[in-house]
Amino acid sequence: MDKPDPTRHVKTRTKKESLSREERQKQLEFQTEAVVHLNSLYNYALHLTMNPSDAEDLVQETYLKAYRFFNSFERGTNCKAWLFKILKNNYINRFRKNSKEPGKVDYDLIKDFYHSIKDVQNDTSEAESDYFHSLLHEEVYQALQSLPEEFKEVIQLCDIDGFTYEEIANMVESPIGTVRSRLYRGRKLLREQLEGYAKKYGINTDNHQ
Amino acid sequence: MNCQKARVLMSAAVDCELSLKEEQGFLLHLSECKECKDEFEEAKKTKMIIKEKIVQFKAPQTLINSIMELTSLSTVEHEDTILFE
Ligand SMILES: [Zn+2]
Repeated sequence: MDKPDPTRHVKTRTKKESLSREERQKQLEFQTEAVVHLNSLYNYALHLTMNPSDAEDLVQETYLKAYRFFNSFERGTNCKAWLFKILKNNYINRFRKNSKEPGKVDYDLIKDFYHSIKDVQNDTSEAESDYFHSLLHEEVYQALQSLPEEFKEVIQLCDIDGFTYEEIANMVESPIGTVRSRLYRGRKLLREQLEGYAKKYGINTDNHQ
Repeated sequence: MNCQKARVLMSAAVDCELSLKEEQGFLLHLSECKECKDEFEEAKKTKMIIKEKIVQFKAPQTLINSIMELTSLSTVEHEDTILFE
């Protein structure tokens, strides 16, 4: 990579070392700022693609890009939001622009995931026990997945990933008013879905003991 | 404030994203309108359900490793990595 220049040999060496110290600093900062969000990013990718191997590819691509452009990340702003936006763009480029279909939605795999964790999770419902609490993880997940994309997206970003309306508006490139109304309508739709499940099990949704 | 206006503010109320002025108007309306009050409670519950029931998966170890590798690619000369496993 470097042109051999014997006369400047010593100088080049020192320069190289300080450069790599800089690089190392960047690496450290990247790990504390960006890599800590790996799980959230993976889950976001999983929700978008519904396919574990596509999700992994997306996350990898995202981190590669993020690392390369880490200098353009505005320090002090939400790094997680920045990463989510990169991932979303990658997702659009990869699956929408090329009109390449994402891998087959792996419902079985997702169901397996849920079953494997269900045993580990202790569902101690500390709040009031009503019909919502009798819902299973995968039912809520399926209900969420069944929503139109624009509703699903804002619910995911708000309720699961905890972004502010301002951050969400920036991510979905819409005004805050749109975020508000999508969340309102999305939650309403989701509630109807969940009530459907509850009714299926004969759980009374209006009046619980 | 009427019901229509209250519903516009509903999600932001759930997420504590209202301005002080909006919040006062919203709460005032809820105190006089059972329908909106019920809907507000349901919306809060829905949010809680999502937070509670949607499980976050753990990223596979292979992915974690490759991200770690990825971000240390450019530091060719450093053997003492700060990776922890
Ligand atoms: Zn009302």
